[in-house]
Amino acid sequence: MFAKHSKIITITAIATSLSFGALYATAQEKYGIGTSVGPDEIAKYDNDIHIDGTGLPEGSGNVALGREIYEYQCALCHGEKLEGIREMGAQTLHEGRRDIKKLPYATSLFDFIRRAMPLTDPGTLSNDEAYGLTAFLLVETGVINDPNLTLDAESVKAIKMPNRDKFIIDPASRFTAKDLEDK
Amino acid sequence: MKIGGVFYCQIRFEPSYSIPISGRKIIMKTNRRHFMKAGMAMSTALLADSALAQDTTLIPSRGPGEMIDSSVTYADRSPFVKDAKMRGSANGLSGGGFTPLQHSRGMVTPSGLHFEVHHSGVPEIDPSEHKLLIHGLVDDEKIFTMEDLLRFPSVSHFHFLECAGNGMGEWMGPRGKTVQQTHGLTSCSEWTGVTLKVLLNELGVRGDAKWLLAEGDDGARMTRSIPLWKAMDDAFLAYAQNGEFLRPEQGFPLRLIVPGFEGNMNVKWIRRLEVGDKPWWTHHENTEYADPRPKDEIRAFSFYMEARSVITSPSGGMKLNGAGFYEISGLGWSGAGTVSKVEISTNDGKTWQDASLQGPVLPKCHTRFTHPWRWDGKETTILSRCTDDTGYTQPTYDEMYKLQGPIGMMHNNAIQKWHVAQDGKITNVR
Repeated sequence: MFAKHSKIITITAIATSLSFGALYATAQEKYGIGTSVGPDEIAKYDNDIHIDGTGLPEGSGNVALGREIYEYQCALCHGEKLEGIREMGAQTLHEGRRDIKKLPYATSLFDFIRRAMPLTDPGTLSNDEAYGLTAFLLVETGVINDPNLTLDAESVKAIKMPNRDKFIIDPASRFTAKDLEDK
Repeated sequence: MKIGGVFYCQIRFEPSYSIPISGRKIIMKTNRRHFMKAGMAMSTALLADSALAQDTTLIPSRGPGEMIDSSVTYADRSPFVKDAKMRGSANGLSGGGFTPLQHSRGMVTPSGLHFEVHHSGVPEIDPSEHKLLIHGLVDDEKIFTMEDLLRFPSVSHFHFLECAGNGMGEWMGPRGKTVQQTHGLTSCSEWTGVTLKVLLNELGVRGDAKWLLAEGDDGARMTRSIPLWKAMDDAFLAYAQNGEFLRPEQGFPLRLIVPGFEGNMNVKWIRRLEVGDKPWWTHHENTEYADPRPKDEIRAFSFYMEARSVITSPSGGMKLNGAGFYEISGLGWSGAGTVSKVEISTNDGKTWQDASLQGPVLPKCHTRFTHPWRWDGKETTILSRCTDDTGYTQPTYDEMYKLQGPIGMMHNNAIQKWHVAQDGKITNVR
């Protein structure tokens, strides 16, 4: 049986090398396409924040700055009290899918504000403003009880969101804890 | 918009217009109707000489159709066909369009009717300027132009894409009137591109790598974490859909396809892939697209779009024209594998019969099913349920409630029921 198989493999290999030449000879063959880049070029693109805080920028902002930015740039859609203005397509930030209290990592909140908000002018907030907004939202939703909260890279990294341990990898889900660890 | 480069250059075809009837061109320009008359007179004259002259059945009732318009280079539909996406956006930037599944045939969705969901509108991207960076835990960090990506070996696969929120509004009760409203955030296309496996092997993935971050080039720079095992299994970067380059609203010039996983992970206008060792828990993968569970718990990384089916015809908003024969037709799909069975009940779930799978039956792909039905003219409820080749069967709403709790919103794959009234009217009873 093995002999039979190896014969087929040999024939296939010859046929393959005849028709495609050396290009497809091995799976690990490099195609040599694309341009290698260094840290300077990568820095132009790399803007995300990892959950360990990697990527958090310089700067800082407090609740007062955050409130000011919120009133001018956010309240139109998100509402004076974060209740969400339905007609503007915004849902409440107090409960449900966009409940800020339930976020597992504060790094994600900072990342999303800086990346995607405000909706009509994303990417225009300064780092200080994004830190300030993060502080304002965490205080306004009762996650942190400190009206004078000031946030920077170190303090955002250190926040343990109260709901983090509520995130489960459901045994009924096909995507299991084993997937998260082993694969 | 300048489209440069060897792969985007269009073949210019100048129609020669050499027609072997002298003076025709002039007649066309001066008076088309005049020419038409002249043309018909000529064919009648020719016919008069032949033995078939008396056979008027050969003269087409309409005569020649519209003149060939050389300015039309991309054909449109018949003006009688009105199938349309249902659009919805409160602010014009987030939201999208639902596919009119009630009129779908076969398994492929026309590109122009493919559902769309956006988070910061649709960017216009010049492909000659678009680049993809792959960096992080790889031996060689590289940037690719579109021309680079088109040089790699290509793959083509038919796959459905479904928004995790498809049918979100149905959780609390029957809301949508039509299948477009209840299920219109799923569509199916042939996608062509280069596999992530080929690209990642090109760069050399380091041993500690476990996750990828995919980032789009829209205003929101939308990001999602993709498990590395999935990337190496069957994910690919598509530049073409149904035989042509992607439509702008589908991610032109490049989008990620993560077969069977929730639509949001199939990042459009992709500009960057970062290889890392942990998920990023981005906005769209924490509370936004995760599923609530009893005891305030939240199911994280609920990526699979599980087996689901729906009868698309007859469906909500339609009306049967009296008792008699009707073909029940619908779609089944599974993000975990291949549809192995779709069952139909025409008596509110009391008895079930296997539907015919029309084929081709492909993994992680819409599968068309049909079932012959003689309606006796009495009130009833029709429904379908789908089983995939992992053995998973589509649940009822009651079963989903046990799993999700009553406020579950995403990943609703429950069985859909259509009520048939005595007058033939079909309504959503969910």
